[in-house]
Amino acid sequence: MDSSLPPKEANLFKVIVKSYETKQYKKGLKAADSILKKFPEHGETLSMKGLTLNCMDRKSEAYELVRRGLKNDLKSHVCWHVYGLLYRSDREYREAIKCYRNALRIDPDNIEILRDLSLLQAQMRDLSGFVETRQQLLTLKPNHRMNWIGFAVAHHLSSNSSKAIEVLEAYEGTLEDDYPPENERYEHGEMLLYKISLFEECGMLDRALEEMHKMESRIVDKLSFREQRASILLKLGRFDEAEKIYRSLLFMNPDNYKYFIAVQKCVGLYSENGQYSADDVERLIALYKSLKEEYSWSSAVKRIPLDFLEGEKFQEAADNYVRPLLTKGVPSLFSDLSPLYEHPGKANILEHLFLKLEDSIRTTGCFPGSAQMEPPSTLMWTLLLVSQHYDRRSQYDIALDKIDEAIAHTPTVIDLYSIKGNILQHAGNFSAAAALANEARSMDLADRYLNSECVMQMLQADQVGLAEKTAVLFTKDGDQHNNLHDMQCMWYELASGESYYRQGDLGRALKNFLAVEKHYTDMTEDQFDFHSYCLRKMTLRAYVAMLKFQDRLHAHEYFHKAAAGAIRCYMKLHDSPSKSSAEENEEMSKLPPAQRKKLRQKQKKAEARAKREAEEKQEDETSSSNSSKSGKKQQARPVDLDPHGEKLVQVEDPLTEATKYLKLLQNNSSDSLETHILSFELNMRKKKVLLAFQAVKQLIKLDGNNPDSHRCLIRFFHKINSLPAPVTDSEKLIWNVLEAERPDLRQLHGNSLVEVNSNFLEKHNASLTHRAAAAEMMYLLEPDKKLQALKLIEDSTNNMASGNGVVGPIKEWGLEDCIDVHKLLDTVFADQDVASRWKVRCAEYFPCSTYFEGVKSATAAYIADNGFESTPENGVVPNPQGKVSGDACTLNGTLHIVDELSNLSVR
Amino acid sequence: MVCIRQATIDDLLAMQACNLMCLPENYQMKYYFYHMLSWPQLLFVAEDYGGRIVGYVLAKMEEDPSEPCHGHITSLAVLRSHRKLGLATKLMSAAQAAMDQVFGAEYVSLHVRRSNRAAFNLYTSTLGYQIHDIEAKYYADGEDAYDMRKMLRQPQPKKHHHHHHGGGCCSHDAPPAAAGSSPTSTSPEKKADT
Repeated sequence: MDSSLPPKEANLFKVIVKSYETKQYKKGLKAADSILKKFPEHGETLSMKGLTLNCMDRKSEAYELVRRGLKNDLKSHVCWHVYGLLYRSDREYREAIKCYRNALRIDPDNIEILRDLSLLQAQMRDLSGFVETRQQLLTLKPNHRMNWIGFAVAHHLSSNSSKAIEVLEAYEGTLEDDYPPENERYEHGEMLLYKISLFEECGMLDRALEEMHKMESRIVDKLSFREQRASILLKLGRFDEAEKIYRSLLFMNPDNYKYFIAVQKCVGLYSENGQYSADDVERLIALYKSLKEEYSWSSAVKRIPLDFLEGEKFQEAADNYVRPLLTKGVPSLFSDLSPLYEHPGKANILEHLFLKLEDSIRTTGCFPGSAQMEPPSTLMWTLLLVSQHYDRRSQYDIALDKIDEAIAHTPTVIDLYSIKGNILQHAGNFSAAAALANEARSMDLADRYLNSECVMQMLQADQVGLAEKTAVLFTKDGDQHNNLHDMQCMWYELASGESYYRQGDLGRALKNFLAVEKHYTDMTEDQFDFHSYCLRKMTLRAYVAMLKFQDRLHAHEYFHKAAAGAIRCYMKLHDSPSKSSAEENEEMSKLPPAQRKKLRQKQKKAEARAKREAEEKQEDETSSSNSSKSGKKQQARPVDLDPHGEKLVQVEDPLTEATKYLKLLQNNSSDSLETHILSFELNMRKKKVLLAFQAVKQLIKLDGNNPDSHRCLIRFFHKINSLPAPVTDSEKLIWNVLEAERPDLRQLHGNSLVEVNSNFLEKHNASLTHRAAAAEMMYLLEPDKKLQALKLIEDSTNNMASGNGVVGPIKEWGLEDCIDVHKLLDTVFADQDVASRWKVRCAEYFPCSTYFEGVKSATAAYIADNGFESTPENGVVPNPQGKVSGDACTLNGTLHIVDELSNLSVR
Repeated sequence: MVCIRQATIDDLLAMQACNLMCLPENYQMKYYFYHMLSWPQLLFVAEDYGGRIVGYVLAKMEEDPSEPCHGHITSLAVLRSHRKLGLATKLMSAAQAAMDQVFGAEYVSLHVRRSNRAAFNLYTSTLGYQIHDIEAKYYADGEDAYDMRKMLRQPQPKKHHHHHHGGGCCSHDAPPAAAGSSPTSTSPEKKADT
């Protein structure tokens, strides 16, 4: 078919294109329709009309028209290009690339299509294709800066930095001598810094310095310039010069720890693991003494020595460090010191010190050896510090006494209540922790931080409804009830998901975990627009860093947790399918296949109808809200047809779903034990023997001493040993692989599983978690030894932790481990007597724990005072006080989720 | 105690988490990407001794050619748990210095809620901002914003002492109108390279 139009229509066609670019879709549509009136089958017009409709949210029509247009004019590059754009808008990048390639076959030098193709290649990391396309673009339009830069970046990304440098230098050769003009100085400077970083990357350090020297006046980002220069000098071993720059950088920002580390490196006093010889420590002391004189206003210079000092010198430095901060009242003092608790011996020194300070302030009102009267608040801040110290050492009783004293001293300091909540949480009383956090929140309703902390605690206490009501106080967005999801508030979704999981609501749990997963998909998508943007902006260093960040995006901890949570949900669904779907399947299976098919179709139609209706309703709502809100355009959002995840739990094959997420974990978090434990569990369920074996091998490699690694090892071979002899070829093949690999596992070396287990026990005889694992495996391997296994657990002793405190002994066992053991006794061993004996025993160790129902576990005891009143103005019902131990049994061994989450960034 | 340094791309997720933890104005990740990929010199973080991000400043250059060259503070936050260390002041000073030195900004502007006395005090008495205008109903909940400005091309007294402002966090820009639309509208998309 002839695709050319008469002049009038050809002009109208231009109007369509123009209208599309300027987003005047209605105008474009009108133009398209008037062409189509005369030429109803004109391919390019049909395509453009489709593309326009696509922007007006009429997807299915769009695809129909674009496909019809293409069919009518297969030789049109416009039709192919449009088809590609349509796919691109739906993130179907592979399909889009195919369409662009077809378009280019017809019109090989089409700049626009080449450019669009290059963006997709960057997005999909088709790096060799990207280089090729950028080369074509440069060849076609060498007078465009962006094409030079794009070609260089393409080479850099495909690991050819030296070629990238060549391209940039060739580009510089095209510039006038007086380049850059004033308004392009920033861009040019960025390009130069990028080039210098390329030199550095390929180890051409001298060239890099040379370039810096030559171009210094043209680089506007002086901070980067100096940092980069110093780092290159350091790499070259030109320490004096490097040190000089770092010291000048410190003068500008004496709070940048990296500069201090760099200075240490310059003088040969840096060790990765923080271990220093006595001689080095002396030199470090001298170094920091001089730095302190030079940068007296730096807080870093006072804090860093606490890391390398030991013994008496440490105590003295710590003393000098904490005093002014206690006088001033710095709430983060403890969190600043807490890394020191990892250093052997320092916790005890700090304890002595803190108690000495407390005693002195209490009795004399001054610090020891000082005549300066402290303000009254110093005692309160000291009590807080002491309290947090004992919290850290798991001595919750003392911690609570101290914080109560601090609160009694100054009841108006809000932070005290939040911290008391944290202590209660660590001690195992989640509802009391939530109540305290709520009290803190109600003392300053305008502070979102207090609100967030409270919501975290409520979720930990499985008060999900209350948590949402509380969170919403800050997240209403216009008509929208709650914008936590839109704003990608992942800690909230993760904590909700964990809570729903604990409570057995797998639908809502999955809903939350998958929501987090979606945020990561969206972030991957986010980079798309920047492929062209950054080439124009010239922020090339940031751009390349962003691409690398994107490549490891799914290794991020939030994603890991979400994926692990989803996998657990799916495995649980597999183990005990939800009732409704099981029943449904049963009913279905009674029907003959033809009827079954009909029924399914009927269901699908009903769903589609519901969706349509919901969409229409939504459209009405948004259009009405649009008219009321002038200016702010709100995008119509698709309706959530499954707000509670009911459909998610009806998934046909949960293990296949789980496998999707497992793969992401394996690709991105392969050094995490959890990844391989999940892989083991999943593949055992899927009866994928070799994959399960891979997981066992990974676990042993990562940490063979871990109790869970041991469990997986034993369970795997126990299962294998219990299988009948292989029959089929593939079974035999698997057997052969296992037989060949088996000797490689050190643990197994010619031993029976029973021996392996007893060796493990012998090696880790003093550890509760290891004994529990060995006992569990003993029972698995030899069920008749149940009593012996139980005795093994009961005979465990809660030893004193090394590095004993001043006040009372510190026991070794953690609350979480003890709860896990209780669950083991209760479920796997199913021995109620032993389990309740264990509970009584642990209630002694953990008197605040609601799980063990210790003597101090009544929530009401912690919220009786201090006017725990409802705060009617914000509409949130306070935590019902009577709720004490009823919800304890819903715990699920994830005690420290709030802490873990906060480690990521917050609090 | 707390390290003040330029943010890297790896800090953005933690910056977003910090923002969601303490401010009512929130942004999608793309908006953070947009800042980092447009003005990488203007983002700073406060990192505590354990490596957690406890504060940040997110800033940009205004690119409207009809106005004089100036910077704008999009968002500034410090966790309540890390108050009284002067972090907000340090973060702001770092961002302002970069605006001046890298981009030659004449002045820097920001928005602050009328009710946020703590932040207002920080800006006026410690950092030298002045009210330039009042934007009625700037925030989603209907609250007005002060449009504040500080000149950068005047000699500034060097201050090394820590100012202790009362409020923990300081909120600024209302989020871009439609969810996450801003980077697309303000940035990329089809513009000439043909």
